[in-house]
Order: sequence, then C-alpha cells, then structure tokens
Amino acid sequence: MQLITALLILHGLVGVALLGAITHQSVSLFRRTAARSGSFVDRYTGVNQRTFTAAVVGLYIAQLTLGALIYPTYRLSVRIPFEEMSLGWAIGLFELKEHFAGLGASLLPIYTYTWLSEQQETHRRDRVAVTMLLALIVWWDFLVGHVLNNIRGFA
Amino acid sequence: MNRPWFSSATFMIIFCCAYVFAFAMNWPLFLYYPLHDDFNLGPHMQTGKGPAIAWYGLMGDAAIAAFLAAVVIPDRLAHKALRNYLWVFPVGAMLACVFLLRRFFG
Repeated sequence: MQLITALLILHGLVGVALLGAITHQSVSLFRRTAARSGSFVDRYTGVNQRTFTAAVVGLYIAQLTLGALIYPTYRLSVRIPFEEMSLGWAIGLFELKEHFAGLGASLLPIYTYTWLSEQQETHRRDRVAVTMLLALIVWWDFLVGHVLNNIRGFA
Repeated sequence: MNRPWFSSATFMIIFCCAYVFAFAMNWPLFLYYPLHDDFNLGPHMQTGKGPAIAWYGLMGDAAIAAFLAAVVIPDRLAHKALRNYLWVFPVGAMLACVFLLRRFFG
C-alpha cells in the first residue's frame, strides 16, 4: 500500500508538471503581438511554444502509465466504497476521467505532427484545436482526480 | 520527400471511432480482475473473480485498430480531406462518452 500511495503522489506531481506545460503552451498560442514590456504576462506568453511539445508528450505518457498502475487499487479500495455510499456521480466523474485520458493519448501523434515546423502554416487550426483539447483533458483529469482523492484517498 | 510510414491523423480518427464503438458495444479486448491479478481474453465477465476492469481492454482494441489503420492508410488522405477539421473526432468521441455514462448523473 505504501508503494501505491507513493505512486499516487507521483501521479499528482506529474499532473502538476503536465498542467503547467500544456497551459503555458496553450496560453501562448493566443499571443498576437511581440513582447513589449517585461511584465509577467509578456514573459509568460512570450515563450517558444514548440519547446513544450516533447515535454507534454513525455509527461502525458508518464501520467497515463502511472494512472494505469494505480487503477486496480482505485477499483478495489475507492470505487467499491463509492458504490456503498451511493456516490454514483463520483464514479461517473472518474469514468469520464479515464475515457478522456485514453482519448487524449490518441491525440499525441497529431499534436506532435502539427507542432513540427514544416506544418507551421498549413495546420494552424488543427494545432490550436488539438492543443486546446489536450489542455481541456489535462485540466479535467487533474481536477476530477483532486476532487475524488479529497472524497476518499487510498490510504 | 518520402511518404511517412505512419499517419498521425488516421491514428487519431480510427482510435476515437474504435474506442467509442468498443465502449458502446461493451467489447473490450480483455478484462482484468485486480482481486486475483488475472487477465481474461474477451468481454465476458466471469463470476467469482470480483470486479473487472475493462479500460485496459478498450485501450487495446482502439490502439491495435488505430495503429494498423495508420500504417495502411496513406497520410495524405486524412490530411487532405479533413485538414482543419480533425478535432471533430476526439470532440465527438468525448461527447459520446458523456452520453454513454449519463446513467451516473441522472
């Protein structure tokens, strides 16, 4: 159980890193003008967006793997008590989290492809849409995981 | 320029379609029983083994179908026909998942 708790904490930490990377990249996508001042917003959005791609893919795969490893413990130690407490909505939220995470994994190849420099001009709308969708999935999964862990954690 | 051996757009499209289809039909490739640490091929639940996890099997279904399609179907087909509209497939798949799970929120 100690190993599972450690993996859950690692899952949370990797989630924070992934959330930071994808949010940073997403926000900077909407920057239209060059940085004029040294303000926090200018610095936050004035990054080279392409450098985040490999980090997001690596963190997403790590996060999905960690989630898959701790899933059996959730199924036995968390979901069954949820059922006993009649918390159907909490089970539903987790089901959406797992399905969205799986579908998000299918976005990784096209996400990488649309961020290649050769596709900079031709796939702009797909790049924005796929990046925002991935950000939405990461935020949803992070918040749902946080709420469910507050209702009932592993330990 | 060499033709890419793997179509990322086809992978995403087929993965989303196959995942939702397998989920809607309840056809995971295999089930995992965490209580006994046991895998069983096919979607049929076995009694006396405790709760089963279907998600790994659904991911297996979708990943195999998507990988094969991404290797076989040329990259230019999906990119030419669906450029700028590729996001429709994952969004549709996510909405389908919400619909299929509506019993939890009723």
